[in-house]
Amino acid sequence: MTNRLQTVPESLAAVLILGASVLAQPAGQQAATADQLQAGQRVFAAQCGFCHGRDAMGGETGPNLTRSAMVREDTTGDRVRSLLREGRTDKGMPAFRLSDADVTAMIAFIRDQRTKSESPGARRSVDPSDLQTGNAERGRAYFNGAGRCASCHSPSGDLSGVAGRLQGLELLQRMLYPSKSRAATAKITLRTGEVVTGTLAYRDEFVVAVTDSEGRYRSWQVRDVTFSVNNPLDAHVEQLAKYTDDDMHDVLAYLQTLR
Amino acid sequence: MTTCTTSWLISRRCVRALAPVVFGCVVLAQDATDGWTTYHGDYSGRRHSALTQLTPANVHQITLKWAFATGDTASIKGTPIVSNGIVYLTTPDNVWAIDARSAHQLWRYTYPANEGFHIGHRGVALHKNTVYFTTPDAHLVALNANDGKVKWNVVIADQKKGYWSTNAPLLIRDHLIVGVAGDFDNLPGVLKSIDPETGGTQWIFYSTPPPGTPGNPSDGATGGQMWMTGTYDPRLNLLFVGTGNPTPVLNGPARAGDNRWTDSIVAINPDTGKLAWGFQATRHDTHDWDAAEVPVLIDAPFNGSPSKLLLQASRNGYFYVLDRETGRSLLTKPFATTNWAKGVDQDGRPIPDPAKEPAPDGRLVAPDESGGTNYRSPSFDPTSGLLLVSAHDAYGIYFFKPDHGAYGWAGADYGVYGKSVLRAIDYRTGEIRWHHELGDGASGAGVLTTATGLTFTGDTAGNVLGLRTSDGKTLWHAAIGRVGNSPITYELDGRQFVLVGAGSSLYAWALPEPQ
Repeated sequence: MTNRLQTVPESLAAVLILGASVLAQPAGQQAATADQLQAGQRVFAAQCGFCHGRDAMGGETGPNLTRSAMVREDTTGDRVRSLLREGRTDKGMPAFRLSDADVTAMIAFIRDQRTKSESPGARRSVDPSDLQTGNAERGRAYFNGAGRCASCHSPSGDLSGVAGRLQGLELLQRMLYPSKSRAATAKITLRTGEVVTGTLAYRDEFVVAVTDSEGRYRSWQVRDVTFSVNNPLDAHVEQLAKYTDDDMHDVLAYLQTLR
Repeated sequence: MTTCTTSWLISRRCVRALAPVVFGCVVLAQDATDGWTTYHGDYSGRRHSALTQLTPANVHQITLKWAFATGDTASIKGTPIVSNGIVYLTTPDNVWAIDARSAHQLWRYTYPANEGFHIGHRGVALHKNTVYFTTPDAHLVALNANDGKVKWNVVIADQKKGYWSTNAPLLIRDHLIVGVAGDFDNLPGVLKSIDPETGGTQWIFYSTPPPGTPGNPSDGATGGQMWMTGTYDPRLNLLFVGTGNPTPVLNGPARAGDNRWTDSIVAINPDTGKLAWGFQATRHDTHDWDAAEVPVLIDAPFNGSPSKLLLQASRNGYFYVLDRETGRSLLTKPFATTNWAKGVDQDGRPIPDPAKEPAPDGRLVAPDESGGTNYRSPSFDPTSGLLLVSAHDAYGIYFFKPDHGAYGWAGADYGVYGKSVLRAIDYRTGEIRWHHELGDGASGAGVLTTATGLTFTGDTAGNVLGLRTSDGKTLWHAAIGRVGNSPITYELDGRQFVLVGAGSSLYAWALPEPQ
């Protein structure tokens, strides 16, 4: 690969038109060359395109990377590099062994795609304005009534100001299943009679583990203990089968009033 | 015996199998227990082995005989093909030939770097002394089984247009049936029959019309890719293949109508490539629910009379029983969480609820895009009459607005939550006889059953499981990492091996050697 220093007119134009400083290259980072973008696109299409889309805007199972906060904030590329090296097997993403040059080129490609995706007419995006079909008053009634949301959540407590923290699709996704929120807790009773409580750290058919109050990881064979798990997310899973699409949009409308 | 020429190794076994097996070696169960010579193990797609050394009583004693680490980062999603004591293992761009006794590597073939999708690979096909391998850029490569040297390399479909291949070819006499994928572009669904000697194309079957077709038989839809390996009934001389989703994928208005033959099971004459019948599992799909899953063939009573049946647990969450001579529906019933249909029509097809089509403000739909099941194989146990399916109860949100256009994906969708459950479906009623929870997320593990009442699969936490087929009770497990393929079994030196892939390693288990 040659190393011509060449700015890419399309992305530069978009930056100027949008006047969005977030799109500008961070200080100390050289603008991508056309060769680099092309190489990045090639590697991305072959290795990542199926899940994340050839254009990085989302495909089967993988999220739109042009809207990924991690990619946006990772100005040095170190986090993306380490993620590729380790994979994210819990989410079904394997590890990749790619050269530094390939990864750098790929990051440049994703950034360039981000610029393109923020131009008018881009496809496969969900804008907050698309989601404004609900009725906040009905949503409030559902929140306090049939939805049983109020049994765990409060507009003046944990959800105070939620509309300022999360918007649009991200708020909708977190509302339906807040996978990164409060963890499950477990109470383990050992054969000795000792009781251990803590955050559920692992559980499968054969092993259960907690992180105890001192931050220590402790695991047991399921057959050697009795245990109970309290997972606040179970209520969200149950609710998925109950929501009508109108309910879902109404509750979203209500949450958007909690500024 | 002409149909025994499917493989020179199978034919050797056929001589032994003919007497005890009613159908002979060529029909539904080949019972070639000294190898696993084709993707499904036999033409029927049952993934059921006649081997009896491992039993519910002794399976807890099995030990690791060997592990083979590919050294690659790609996960093993394919079926190892085992013949004459050699295991052929694949990942995208790679084939390994290893000794089934020792895991010693005989050779490795690496395909040149290319721009095709490197999403997974299902396995090779064998014929005489040739190994057939599909590539991410939709080529078919013939390798010398002795040393992995290339004999020839032909194009199946044009990668530049958006085709790729993960397919394990299916050999039917002198026809090598090869499929491709490609739903990021509006492309006709292509299945090819290739001459295994020369690589020449014998016929092409299109599931959706090729450009220039008069009329509008698919209502404007493209797609319907046949990316999974089909099954075959020699008596009817019919090849059965599941077809994929229509394109544009999430934009329904662009292709109002049923969109035949997308999301269908098609029966094809393997000599001519002509369609005998088609059955649409999802008409007018707007959720990416390929009906590519294995069409499992069984001969068994249905409503009191002996029947030639075809079973499919489909990605849309429904279980189908068809009469495979005619394609007529006998039973349609959900096996996973679904909320997208308003009932089932008189032809056994679920009636899509228009309110669950992708919309600008999003629709909460079950199953999600990865489906009620997927490419991971089910297994049919003839003793219990159970089809064991690795099911996925999941919700996704689906979006489409006109701005998304009418090309390729044409919309957006996001998984919300899912969990995996092994379900034992009674083929006669569609009732779930038992289920076994496999954990949050989607399992990539297929299912294997054996004649002694054993079931092998994997959970989402990373355990390979040995279960009792009659009730799903766990009899054995090992934490080897997430199982990403469908387990197989074969006999070698008088011992029964079970092979399972997890991550980029392949594991071989058997009972301890007698002292």
